[in-house]
Amino acid sequence: MIDKYAVAALAALAAVGTSALAADKGDVELAYVEWSSEVASTNLVKAVLEDMGYDVKITPVSAAAMWQAVGSGDVDGLVAAWLPTTHNHYLEQVSDKVVDLGPNLVGTRIGLVVPAYVEIDSIEDLEGAAERFDGKIIGIDPGAGLMSKTETVLEDYDITDLTLVEGTGPIMTAVLGDAIEKEEWVVVTGWTPHWMFAQYDLKYLDDPKGIYGGEEEIHTIVREGLKEDLPEVYAVLDNFSWTPDQMAELMVMNQERRADPLKNAKLWIAEHPDVVASWMPDNERE
Amino acid sequence: MIEIPRLPLAEWIDDGLDVLTGQFAGATKVVSDLMETGIEGTVDALMWLPPGVTIVLAGLLVWRLAGIRTAVFALLGLALLWNLGLWEATLQTLVMVLIATLIAVCVGGPLGILAALSPSAYRIIFPVLDFMQTMPAFVYLIPAIPFFGLGPVAAIFSTVIFAMPPAIRLTTLGIRQVPADLVEAADAFGATRRQKLWKVQLPLAVPTIMAGINQTIMLALSMVVIAAMIGAQGLGGEVWRAIQRNEAGMGFEAGIAVVILAMLLDRITQGIGRRGKDQPNT
Repeated sequence: MIDKYAVAALAALAAVGTSALAADKGDVELAYVEWSSEVASTNLVKAVLEDMGYDVKITPVSAAAMWQAVGSGDVDGLVAAWLPTTHNHYLEQVSDKVVDLGPNLVGTRIGLVVPAYVEIDSIEDLEGAAERFDGKIIGIDPGAGLMSKTETVLEDYDITDLTLVEGTGPIMTAVLGDAIEKEEWVVVTGWTPHWMFAQYDLKYLDDPKGIYGGEEEIHTIVREGLKEDLPEVYAVLDNFSWTPDQMAELMVMNQERRADPLKNAKLWIAEHPDVVASWMPDNERE
Repeated sequence: MIEIPRLPLAEWIDDGLDVLTGQFAGATKVVSDLMETGIEGTVDALMWLPPGVTIVLAGLLVWRLAGIRTAVFALLGLALLWNLGLWEATLQTLVMVLIATLIAVCVGGPLGILAALSPSAYRIIFPVLDFMQTMPAFVYLIPAIPFFGLGPVAAIFSTVIFAMPPAIRLTTLGIRQVPADLVEAADAFGATRRQKLWKVQLPLAVPTIMAGINQTIMLALSMVVIAAMIGAQGLGGEVWRAIQRNEAGMGFEAGIAVVILAMLLDRITQGIGRRGKDQPNT
C-alpha cells in the first residue's frame, strides 16, 4: 500500500523535476578522479562553462569508471587523462569511442620520489640502500601506468632487494607522511603536479636510463558527437590549456582545510582574465 | 599428460558484455534517466523542508514505530548529522538505500515465496543467491556504467544484487518454519493454497521476513559506500573523497554518519518486526 503511494509520488516528482531542470544553454557532465590536480582543473572548467550559461555537473569517480563513462557517452568529457603512460591502458579500451583533444597541461612528471633528507640521488643507488628503505617501494593502484613503469625500472636497474608494494594514492601519501614524521627513509612512486610537493620537501631520484620517460601530459578527452551536440563546449574544452605553475596556484589554494574548489576556481578566473579569454569558443586553434 | 588450453573465459564475458551493451544499453539508459530524476526529485523535496522540521517529523515517526528511546536517539543522531553539514549527503544515501530495499523486497519477496512452496524453484534460486552474495561487487560496478550511467542508478543496481539474497532466504525460511500442524489444520478446513498462504503462512512468517528486510537494509548501506566509486555521491561520496584526500578526520565524520543511519534503520525495522502481528498489506 505504501509502495503505491511512493511510486505515485516518485512519478509526480519526476514530472516536476524535469520541467524545473530547463537550463539556459544545456547540461554538461564531466567526470574526474579525486586527485588534487584534477579537482583543480575540473572545477575550473565547470566555473568557466557555468559563466557561459551552461549547467555543469561534475562527478568524482575511480579512474576505470571515469573512462568507462566517457567511452559509453554517459558523460560529455574529462580533463583528467594522464597520457601517454598512466591512463594508456584505459584509453586503449575506448579509443574508438572517444575524441582526444590533446594536452591541456604539459610538463608533468612521474618517477620515484624520496624526502629531501634521503642521502641518495639516483635510482642506481637504490639497491645499495635497500635496507634503509626496509626493502619496500610504496606504490599506488595496480592498474596505473606508473606502476608498470616502476616494474620495468626494477628490472632494468637490476634491483632485487626492493619490492614494489601495491596500494592506493592516499595510502602512499599516508606512508610517506608517516616516514617524514619519524625522519625515516622512504621511497614512493610519485607524480607532479601533486600536493605532496607543496606539503613536504621532496625530490625525484635521477633516472639515468630514462625509463620513466621525459614527461606525462594531461589530456582532454570528450565523447564522440560532442562537437555536433554542444559546439561551444567542445571549443572551450579544445582550447583549455594552462601551465603547471598556474595549476599549482589553484592547487595550493585548495590545500587549505575545508577549501571549496569551485569558489577557488572562480577566484582564479578573476585573477587570470587573459588566460580564460584565450579558451573562449571564438579563438580558433590549430 | 594432455595439454588443456586455458579457457578464454574472460574473452567470452567481454564479448557477452559487448553484445548486451549493444542490445540493451539504450533501453536501460532511458529507465535509468527517469529513475535518476525521481531520486533527485525526492532528495530535493526532502531538502525543501527545513532540516529541523524534517528531524522532528522523523523523530515522531520513529517514536510511533520503535518507541521513545529510539526516537530520542534519532533526534540526537540526525541533529548531529545536520550540524556536521552532512544533511544532504545523508538524505541522498537514505533515498538510495530505501529504493534499493524496495526493489529487493518487491523482487525478492515473491521469489522467496516461490522457493518456499516449490522444491524445484528452491534448487534453482538458492545457488544463484550464493553467486550474488559472494561475487565481489567491484566486478560488476564498472560494467554497469554503460547500462545505467554514472551515479545513483548504477549504484542502486549493484546494491540490489548484493542486498537482495537475505530478503529471499529469510522469506523462504519464514514460510518453511510455519508449524506443520497449523498448515494441516488449514488443509483440514479446506483452505485453498492461496488462503493458506495469505491467512496462515505469511502472517506467521512476518517476523522472519522483517529480519530479512533488516539484513537487506544493512547490506545496502555498506554497498552504497562502495558504490561511491561510480559516482553514487551521498555519504559514501563523502567517505570516498576523504579517503582520496587522505583526511582521516573527515572520513570518520562521514563514517559515523553511516553508522548512525544504520542504527536508526535497524531499530525501526526491528520495531516493525516486533509489531508484526498486524496483517501485512503489500
